[in-house]
Amino acid sequence: MTMRIAAAALFLLALGAPAAPQAPKTPKEAAPIDLTGTWVSVVTEDWRWRMLIPKKGDYTSVPLSAEGRKVADTWDPSQSASDGCKAYGAAALMRVPGRLQIAWENDTTLRIDTDAGQQTRRLYFDKSQKPQPERTWQGNSAAEWEHITQPGGLGVSLQQGPGKPGALKVITTNLKAGYLRKNGVPYSDDTTMTEYFDRLSAYGTDWLTVFTIVEDPHYLNQPFITSTHFKREPNRSKWMPASCEAGSSSK
Amino acid sequence: MSLRLGVAILVTAGSAFAQIDLGGEWAATFHEDLQHRGGVRLGDYTGLPLNESGWRKAQSWDESARSTFERQCIPHVITYAMRGPANIRFSKIVDPVSGELQAYSLLGSYGRPRTIWMDGRDHPSDLAPHTWAGFSTGHWERNMLVVETTHIKTGWLLRNGAPTSDLATMTEYYTRYGNYLMLASFVNDPVYLDEPFIRTSNFVLSLTTSADAWGNCGPAQIIDELGGRPKGWVPHYLPGQTPHIQEFLDKSGVPAEAARGGAATTYPEYMAKLKKNDLDNHIFPPPAPGKSFPRVVSPQTSEVSGEITVLPVQGNVYLLAGAGANMTVQVGEDGVLLVDAGDGKATDKVIAAIRKLSNKPIRFIVDSNANPDHMGGNERLAALGRAPGGGRASDSAGPGAMVFAQEAVLAAVSAPSGQKALMPVGGWPTESYPDWKELSLNNEAIQIFHVPAAHSEGDSLVFFRRSDVIATGDIFVTTTFPVIDKGGSINGVIAGLNRIIEITIPKDWQEGGTRVIPGHGRICDEADVVEYRDMVTIIRDRVQDMIKKGMTLDQVKAARPTLEYDSRYGSDSGPWTTSMFIEAVYRNLSPK
Repeated sequence: MTMRIAAAALFLLALGAPAAPQAPKTPKEAAPIDLTGTWVSVVTEDWRWRMLIPKKGDYTSVPLSAEGRKVADTWDPSQSASDGCKAYGAAALMRVPGRLQIAWENDTTLRIDTDAGQQTRRLYFDKSQKPQPERTWQGNSAAEWEHITQPGGLGVSLQQGPGKPGALKVITTNLKAGYLRKNGVPYSDDTTMTEYFDRLSAYGTDWLTVFTIVEDPHYLNQPFITSTHFKREPNRSKWMPASCEAGSSSK
Repeated sequence: MSLRLGVAILVTAGSAFAQIDLGGEWAATFHEDLQHRGGVRLGDYTGLPLNESGWRKAQSWDESARSTFERQCIPHVITYAMRGPANIRFSKIVDPVSGELQAYSLLGSYGRPRTIWMDGRDHPSDLAPHTWAGFSTGHWERNMLVVETTHIKTGWLLRNGAPTSDLATMTEYYTRYGNYLMLASFVNDPVYLDEPFIRTSNFVLSLTTSADAWGNCGPAQIIDELGGRPKGWVPHYLPGQTPHIQEFLDKSGVPAEAARGGAATTYPEYMAKLKKNDLDNHIFPPPAPGKSFPRVVSPQTSEVSGEITVLPVQGNVYLLAGAGANMTVQVGEDGVLLVDAGDGKATDKVIAAIRKLSNKPIRFIVDSNANPDHMGGNERLAALGRAPGGGRASDSAGPGAMVFAQEAVLAAVSAPSGQKALMPVGGWPTESYPDWKELSLNNEAIQIFHVPAAHSEGDSLVFFRRSDVIATGDIFVTTTFPVIDKGGSINGVIAGLNRIIEITIPKDWQEGGTRVIPGHGRICDEADVVEYRDMVTIIRDRVQDMIKKGMTLDQVKAARPTLEYDSRYGSDSGPWTTSMFIEAVYRNLSPK
C-alpha cells in the first residue's frame, strides 16, 4: 500500500464517525485558559520607572527614535498634572502598577478594568464588530485564541499533530497618542500593539502574563517589547480606583 | 509500505510534533530592567522581594570579592544567568536509537550549559552536589515548556550581591509567541526572599547571532588580581560601613527603604507609602530586638530520617549518610576504609550498606574527631574488620580493623586503667598521630592532616589523592554554624576551611574537581567551602570589631552579627544554638 493511501486512511480515522452537527463554541466557551478574575501587578522589573515618575529625559531602555527623543525632551514636569490619562493608554496601561479585573462582558467580548486610571479595555473576538471611528486611549482591540499548528499543504500536514492551544492574542489599533512612561516618553496615534495574554502557576500561585509588542513608525526605531506579570487575588477587596482624568482628586 | 506501518509512522510523527519548537538562536531584548542586567548599580535592590536577611547580606557585599582567587572563574549562576545580557541557544538532544526527545540543551548568557531532562527522570538526592546551572527537568503544559531546577549553588539574583542560598529552587516557563520567546522565571528562596521572585525576560529569534559558550576558565587562568592580598582574605563591609548604598540613593533619588527591596515594595499600594514618605529611610536600620529568623528546614533530611543513603562521590569514594555524622567509604581490591563510623545507633544498616559496595574486610577507620556521632560505631565496625599485616610483630594481620585518630581524640575517649572512659576500649583508636598520617589502600594514597584547635582539639582532614575527594569532619558542615567544641576555636575553624580550599582544585568554572564530604550535609566542592569560609570569616570579623569597640557579650548578641545566616545555619534550640555559637566566638576572640 502506498504512503498516499496510508495518509488517506489516517485522515479518515481522524475524521471519525459522522456526528450530529454542533453549534460552534463561542469564544467564551472555547477559552483554553481562564483569564477572568482579579489580578495585581507585581513590580519586580523596571521598578524605578514604574513606581516612581522618572526624571525628564530618562527613557532608559525604550527604543526611541530621534523624533521620539525630541518629543520626550519637551515634557514639562511642572505640567504633569495636566497630562491626564496620557500614561494610561493601552500601550502603557499594563505597565502601570495596579489591579486588573477581567470578565466576559458577553460571549465574544472580554473586558479588562483597571483601578489605576480607571480605564476599560474591551477585547473583541467578534470580527464583524465595527471599530469605533474615533481614536481613544484604549483603541480597538481584536482578540483571538491562538491555536498553534503547522502551516503548510498536504506534504507538511502529514506530520502535523493535533496542535496546541495557545495564548490570547490581541491586536490593538486606533489609539490616541499617549505616553509609554509617565515622564512623557511618547507613542503616536499610528501605534499598533500586539499582545499575548497567558496563564501559568508556580509555587502555589496563579499568574497572568502579558507579552507586549508596541510598534510606532514615528517615535520608536524598533518594536518595543515588554512582558508584564500579575498575581491572582482572591477578590476585589484591595481594589483602589483612581481616576486619571486631569483635575481628578483621586488621580 | 503497509497500512499498519503507514499509520504507525503518522501517529508517531504526530506525537513528535506535539511540542512547540524552541530550537535555535534567541537574542535577548533589553527593553525592560536594563539597569538590572549587565551594569547594575551597587546598592540597587529595587523590585527584589528580599527579606531582611537578604538585604543585609547584600549590603555587606564587596565587589572586590569577584577578584579573589576563588571567585574569578565563577560564571553566572542560574538564578541570574537567563536574565544576563546575552543570547541563548535551544537544541534538542535526541536518543540516537529511539529518536525520542531526551532533553533540551540550553546554552549561553554567560552561564554554564544547561541540560533540561525531558525523559521523566527524578531530581537527585538532596545530598548530591550543587552546580551553577543546577539540575533541571522539563515537561510541556499547553504551549509552554515548564522547567524545574534544583541543586543550585549559593548565588545571586543580581550582580550586586543580592543573594540566593543553596536552598533556592526555580520554576521557568518558556513560551513562544511567533518569533518571540518569553521566559517567566520564578526563584523560590525561603532563606533570602519574602516570596518567590518572578521576572519575565524576552528573546527574539535570531538568524545572525550565535550563543557561543565561553571557552575554559580554570585554575590555569586565575591570576593575582588583588595585588598580594593574603590567601583567605574575604572582602566584605561591616554593617553600616558600605559606602555605595548612599551613593546609589544620591544618584537615583530612590528612598533608602525602597532601595532595600522587599515584597511589600513591589505591590501598587507601596506607591501610596512613597507618596506620603511613610518610610524607614535609615540606611542601616538596626535589627529589631527579639525578631526571630527561623531556620529554613534544610532538604537534607536523610540525615535525620533514620535511613541510610549511599551516594557515589568520585573515584573509589562514597558518602554514607544517615548514621549520625557523614561517613566516607573508600572501597577497592584491598578492602574498605572508613572515615568516621557514625553514631552506632544504625550500625546494622551501615554494615548492610557497606556490604552492597564491597564484600572485602574493613581495613582502616579514621576518626575525624572525638564526637560520639563520628565514633559511636567504631567498636562494632572495627571488630568486623581485619587489619592488614605489617613488618613488625605488633603489626600482624588479624581480627579488627586499625583505627586512626589524632592524639587528642584518643585522649578524649580513653582513660587510664581503673578510670571510666568515654567509650569502651574496643571503640578507641588503635593508632594515634600528632600532626599527620599517610596511608595507602586500594592503589590510592591517602593523606591525613591534623588541623589544630578548629572544631575541636583533634580534628583531621582525610584526602583521597587518586579519587580527588576530601573528607573534612566537622571543620566543614553544610547544616549548622561551626560547632566549636572543647579545644576548638573560630580562628582554627577558619584556618581549617582555608586548608581545605588549598587542597581542593576545581575542574573549571569554579566547580567540580575535588569533591568535599562535610561532617554533616551534602557533597560539595571548593566553591561551597568558599561560601562557608566567607560566612565564618565575616562573622568573625564582625564580632572582632564589636569587641574592639568594647561591646559586652549581651550587646554583641543583640547586634545580631549572624543575622543573614541565621535562617540557613542557625538554631534557637538543640545542642548548638546560634547564641552558643556567638558566645564561643566572643570568648575565643576576647583578650585573655
